Amino acid sequence: MSVYFPRNFRLLEELERGEKGIGDGTVSYGMDDGDDIYMRSWTGTIIGPHNTVHEGRIYQLKLFCDKDYPEKPPSVRFHSRVNMTCVNHETGVFDYVEIGSIALVEPKKFGLLANWQREYTMEDILTQLKKEMAAPHNRKLVQPPEGTYF
Amino acid sequence: MGAEGDSSEPKVGGEGEEAVAVNVRCSSGSKFTVRTSLNSTVEAFKALLAQNCDVPADQQRLIYKGRILKDDQTLLSYGLAADHTVHMVRGFAPAASTPPSVSPAPDSNTTPGVTRGVGSTEGAGLENTLLGSSLFPGLGLNPLGGGGGAGGAAGLFGAGLPEFEQVQQQLTQNPNMMREIMNMPAIQSLMNNPDLMRSLIMSNPQMREIIDRNPELAHILNDPGILRQTLEAARNPELMREMMRNTDRAMSNIESSPEGFNMLRRMYENVQEPFLNATTMTGNSGNDLGSNPFAALLGNQGGAQARDGSNTLSATGAQTTTGQAVPNTNPLPNPWSNNTGGGTQTNTARPNRAGDARAPPPSVAGLGGLGLPNMDQMLSGMPDATQMNQLLQNPAISQMMQSLLSNPQYMNQILSLNPQLRGMVDLNPQLREMMQNPELLRQLTNPETLQQMLTLQQSLQSQLNRQQSTQDSAQSGANTGTANNAGLELLMNMFGGLGAGGFAVPNNPDVPPEELYATQLSQLQEMGFFDTQENIRALRATSGNVHAAVERLLGNPGQ
Repeated sequence: MSVYFPRNFRLLEELERGEKGIGDGTVSYGMDDGDDIYMRSWTGTIIGPHNTVHEGRIYQLKLFCDKDYPEKPPSVRFHSRVNMTCVNHETGVFDYVEIGSIALVEPKKFGLLANWQREYTMEDILTQLKKEMAAPHNRKLVQPPEGTYF
Repeated sequence: MGAEGDSSEPKVGGEGEEAVAVNVRCSSGSKFTVRTSLNSTVEAFKALLAQNCDVPADQQRLIYKGRILKDDQTLLSYGLAADHTVHMVRGFAPAASTPPSVSPAPDSNTTPGVTRGVGSTEGAGLENTLLGSSLFPGLGLNPLGGGGGAGGAAGLFGAGLPEFEQVQQQLTQNPNMMREIMNMPAIQSLMNNPDLMRSLIMSNPQMREIIDRNPELAHILNDPGILRQTLEAARNPELMREMMRNTDRAMSNIESSPEGFNMLRRMYENVQEPFLNATTMTGNSGNDLGSNPFAALLGNQGGAQARDGSNTLSATGAQTTTGQAVPNTNPLPNPWSNNTGGGTQTNTARPNRAGDARAPPPSVAGLGGLGLPNMDQMLSGMPDATQMNQLLQNPAISQMMQSLLSNPQYMNQILSLNPQLRGMVDLNPQLREMMQNPELLRQLTNPETLQQMLTLQQSLQSQLNRQQSTQDSAQSGANTGTANNAGLELLMNMFGGLGAGGFAVPNNPDVPPEELYATQLSQLQEMGFFDTQENIRALRATSGNVHAAVERLLGNPGQ
């Protein structure tokens, strides 16, 4: 039980932030099924950052917060097709190793999922991914047609 | 939330449901609140939003809780409640849509873009959002990017003394120089002063005419953010390329819609052409490319490529750059295919020393492009011998040098350009002879000689510091060296002098600062800064910007 309360509080807080657009406000997220008392399944949206090939696009992601969230990161996968170095092209699932290695290459960025800390939120994941899209190695990648899904 | 709905708003959205406040956040960062009934459909909600912002309903894409809202659903079905935030992204107009969706764009974009800077990202962000999707940005960026900037920069220099038109022309042909100038703190403070920029632009009659005819452009020119962004772009080739790419994309989108093509054509005729005319005429050269610093910028990287572009129109990038008055009738390449990105990018990213070398037989101005900035910088600016050596060993440079020096006409031009020099030449008839002696000039281009020259220059410099008049120093230099070397030194001096002249434009050193900054000084006096010398120093450092000067005087020189 002691695990669940903080988890739920935490997720409720995130839910509110998502609904009201508190915080960074450039990403959007919410629960898939409002009736799920465990609040596991979430949808997130990233609006493609300016000055990249992603501009004007909307990327949908699925986040799954298992019961060990926020001790463990949620599983994150893209629903919309996207071409990013840290995303497995077949499945849309993140390649954890790569995100981690990005963190090694670029110390300013943190491999959120690889080095997960319980303070991180889904909003952090989304905004970080958005930043990732604008990173030099991603911003110009050829993208699959818009509106296609994994 | 119930209380709020009950008390404040009797006028409701739909079927007797109470209206609630919903925040809408645009991708540009701006934010506004609308009141709506939660029972209304998304479609109706979009129509409501369209009244509150510049995005037509059919271009709105709404996101809430990570989900894209579908038109036929109700807001309630998505769980929307009071005070929740919906994100709005401007999508492209559906392909089937007819002119109505396109035509409102130019009108609607200007105002909100400029006035509603509520959000966090303001200027740049707004500009960029509009960019991807609407007509105006194509317009806004093209003339601004291609012409406005040129106008700004050209006007900036053209507004000064007439003889600097020459310098200006050379400037525009040498992107490095342009960039360097843009990076100079004095210029930056100039650029950050919107009033000044505006008056500079307005001082060009052609520009003013364009603005009079196209009031929506005035917004751009009045928005310091955009101006700054444009100049930023001039300084940063990366950004420039990005803008170009975005513009291309916007263009292709416009073109794909039925009325769009005509729209584009009108745009070109109304704005692009006069803009270019305005800028080329200030530049006083028949060559579009030459007088357009942006073209020049890209031209440097694209080298001969971009130059060809003005004739063959092969790449869209080239077209926007060179600003042909005729709209491009070629189909635009698929933005998702590797080619487009590649097309423009390879064009611009090609590392190009060769481009310089391949440039057509140097015109006078072209020579100046290299001769002045690089030379004088090397000669007077940096005592760093290794850097100099590197430059000297660059074949492209030496080739340029050669062509520069093999053109006696150009020499004469340099001489007549600089009053100081002219005086010097008049006093030393031999000098003129030397300058026109091909034998000497050939020797000049010899790298070894150049290196020697450098050494001499360094010693000369130290002498210069001790001696007051340029003429004296030149003479003493002549005394120390052999006959040939004396010529070299004089030449160097000349370059140095010229460079100083060129750089001095924004500072206007010839006018005593008391006169130059008379109004500002009196303003400062009124504000209670009584130390005239201190005031002058501050005004000088800030190029006459009172506000910045005050900041500085208050011990905040960072501003």
